[in-house]
Amino acid sequence: MLLCCLCWGIAHAQDSTSIYIQQVLHPQHDTMRGQALSRLAALQPPAALPFLEAVNSSSLYLLRDKAVTTGGKKSGAEELFTVYEVFPSHQLLKDESGQPLMLPASSLQQVQISRVQRLQLASLSSWLGIFSADPQKRAMSYGQLQQTSDTSQIKALALALQMETNAAALRAGKEAWYAIHLNNTTDAGFAKLFIDSLAANGGDNAAVLLRAYSKKAGAIQQATAYAAKKAEKLDSNYAWLQRIQNLFSGISLGSILILVSLGLAIVYGLAGIINMAHGEFLMIGAYATYCTEMLFANVLHIQSSNWFFIAALPVSFIAAGLMGLFLEWLIIRRLYARPLESLLATWGVSLVLIQTARSIFGDLTAVKLPEMLAGGWQVSPHLVLPYNRIFIILLTIVVVIALYGMLFRTRLGMQIRAVTQNRNMSACLGIDTRRVDAFTFFIGAGLAGLAGCAMTLIGNVVPDMGQTYIVDSFLVVVTGGVGKLVGTITAGLGIGIFSKVLEAFFQAVYGKVLILLLIMIYMQFKPRGLFPDKGRIAEE
Amino acid sequence: MPDKSSKLVTLLFVLFFAIVLPAGHLLGIVSINTISLWGRYCCFAIAALGIDLIWGYTGIMSMCQAFFFCLGGYCMGMHLLLKATALQGQELPDFMIWNNFSSLPAFWQPFHGFVPAVLLALLVPAGIAFIIGFFVFRSRIKGVYMAIITQALALGMYLLFLRNETKLGGTNGLTNFKTVLGFDLSSSATKLGLYFAAVVMLCISYILCRKIVNSKFGKVLQAIRDSEPRVGYTAYRVLHYKLAVFVVAAVLAGLAGMLYVPQTGIITPGRMSVTSSVEMLMWVALGGRGRLKGAIIGALLVNCLYSLCTSLFPEGWLFVLGILYILTVLYFDKGFTGLFDKLSTLLHSRRKAVVESPAISGSSSPSLRGAARLSAERDEAIS
Repeated sequence: MLLCCLCWGIAHAQDSTSIYIQQVLHPQHDTMRGQALSRLAALQPPAALPFLEAVNSSSLYLLRDKAVTTGGKKSGAEELFTVYEVFPSHQLLKDESGQPLMLPASSLQQVQISRVQRLQLASLSSWLGIFSADPQKRAMSYGQLQQTSDTSQIKALALALQMETNAAALRAGKEAWYAIHLNNTTDAGFAKLFIDSLAANGGDNAAVLLRAYSKKAGAIQQATAYAAKKAEKLDSNYAWLQRIQNLFSGISLGSILILVSLGLAIVYGLAGIINMAHGEFLMIGAYATYCTEMLFANVLHIQSSNWFFIAALPVSFIAAGLMGLFLEWLIIRRLYARPLESLLATWGVSLVLIQTARSIFGDLTAVKLPEMLAGGWQVSPHLVLPYNRIFIILLTIVVVIALYGMLFRTRLGMQIRAVTQNRNMSACLGIDTRRVDAFTFFIGAGLAGLAGCAMTLIGNVVPDMGQTYIVDSFLVVVTGGVGKLVGTITAGLGIGIFSKVLEAFFQAVYGKVLILLLIMIYMQFKPRGLFPDKGRIAEE
Repeated sequence: MPDKSSKLVTLLFVLFFAIVLPAGHLLGIVSINTISLWGRYCCFAIAALGIDLIWGYTGIMSMCQAFFFCLGGYCMGMHLLLKATALQGQELPDFMIWNNFSSLPAFWQPFHGFVPAVLLALLVPAGIAFIIGFFVFRSRIKGVYMAIITQALALGMYLLFLRNETKLGGTNGLTNFKTVLGFDLSSSATKLGLYFAAVVMLCISYILCRKIVNSKFGKVLQAIRDSEPRVGYTAYRVLHYKLAVFVVAAVLAGLAGMLYVPQTGIITPGRMSVTSSVEMLMWVALGGRGRLKGAIIGALLVNCLYSLCTSLFPEGWLFVLGILYILTVLYFDKGFTGLFDKLSTLLHSRRKAVVESPAISGSSSPSLRGAARLSAERDEAIS
């Protein structure tokens, strides 16, 4: 409403402005351009402000005799820019199909304006940024106007806000607008109105501005108290959002732990193997993702980074699963039901695998984040949930459902459960336990590989990446109770959330030590995990 | 007879380390660095004895022995660092000055004297092992659970020691030691002295461990390894026995760490990482679990191999170690001592078959087997 009231007549200055602009674009001689610019700087005709900003940031171009400037760019084989017209109207140029027009820099003709001539705009340059084509620059420039009391700048701000199209920049602009008016008003009612608007707007600095106002000398008594109260409320809201963010990253950490631990838990439950090399299946999955990316980019020449990741999900599962199958055949089947020995032997396997990966791939590689998972879901101005973490959580949910379906709805799943409960009896009843073992190991290793693929979304790919997760996931298995999927899932989530929440209060390391202490205390009361089998089972 | 030849082998073993190596140094054949290196291996062997007690004889896999080793090492390191600082005329060690400490932290104060430092190097691991052991064994955590809990503990402590806030030098650890008991650490006479100290302590620890193993206490430990519930049913307090052996193992590790630090001149948190704990287990597994000699031989052998490999082909060490882990577990379940047992049985039965009638060739008397094993062991140790 306020903005509408401040609509500003532009027509009266139109003619002289367009003449000056023509002189800047096509000067008959060089001094004429300087004179025209200095006249424009003095008059500050509103219609010409976007044009002046283009001059000021030396990004003024001619496109079919229209004055334009460039906005965001998109890189590919060739850098492409979106194009904005700056005079007489101010708008994004579109092609025939209604999509934003993307042009390479070579098809734009730059208007060369010397530094001396640009300096004519020096007095305006502090706030001209609010007319920039780049939303981030606009948002920043709005922020710098918050304390101004210059009426010409306030008018320019109103004009810029009318043209504003970007939500984040609009929020920053409104914040500046309300702050200016709050600082200049002398009426308590109006002041409260502006304070309310500032708080409801939810800009980045609302709490800071309100607090500054509440301490300002010479402000209205009632309004300052009101502002202080509002600022407090905003702060507590912000703290809550922070907690939600922590909870969210805890859930995503827990998801990865669950993915890694599920395989570990079913293998241990089935065969009594402590697989120290399980973390290395995660590493193999990550490197499989990396190889898929290389294959798509260099051999198949598919530029879009979405496809390789979609392909990498099954590839990493199968690569890690096959490696698991091979190791099972070569080493691990000789170790069944000897958990402590298997721990040492698989530790050896993990050393060999890490060193092999290091000699093939070197010390550090990274996988490009797929385009579809870049950015995040903006729930509110201060709460952004990154897509990659949401993806990991969804992936875990899908995997858990699929695993449950496999274990409880298929014949093979029934066999796996039977062998887990009593190997000899199952063998007597005609179950091929060797085949069940091999299949379970394949699934377990594959799940870790999938976790490795997911890990590339949030971190680098390094040869010993598995080792950072292995101890944690063993803790998950122990806390959850051996061979119990519900326990593993609950414990994974619990440990993930707990460690993120503790990290928020303490530093990361102390968080980890505290988690360990908590688990030790917990084991005093529930030494056999969260969901132990009912009944009296002899210890040996 | 076994007792006699066993004693002979032990004597030869001791003679080699106590006389042949130092004599080689005096004659100029063996360099002082080699002597010092073997001194360090002896320290590892002391820690391995502790692991053999707890793992080989009691069947508890503790994966935080390297942590106890480092506790002993840090206690000694703090004392040496304070002495070096006093020698330079400074009030605070260098790393404290860099971290803007205004005064010496209170827990550093007892380490000014040598005797309190030595006592603490043994008592601190013992105390911590007692606390951990009490809670772990009380809730009947055992087997794999025990291994994982202690491993997590080792990881947690490792991360804690990496921080500067623990006031123990952070990632860089403690270093720049100058003297021990007033003797210059860089002189070769001191190095030789430290080497002798390590060898003597190894011998004493071995004798003590053998006393423990052969006592009634040791028999109960082995019974716990073989069937813990049955020991419990026969009214033994399993918790007390396990706790006692856990503390003894921690003290041995602390002693080893204490002797190790003046010889290397540095102690860092890297020594207590999860990897080094597993490596310590490997020494014992490779030498032969449930045999005290096996633990010593394993520790000396793996470390010797480590020095060889890292100087010849540094990239390949992890491959060698990894494959050793796998092969030991898969094929020599009883380690090297077990392997030589088997070999000598084979050899003897064949020789016997030639000398005596073929009818009794299948069973060689246990005493002969023991002797052959030990002679093979001696060859192994000396080569």
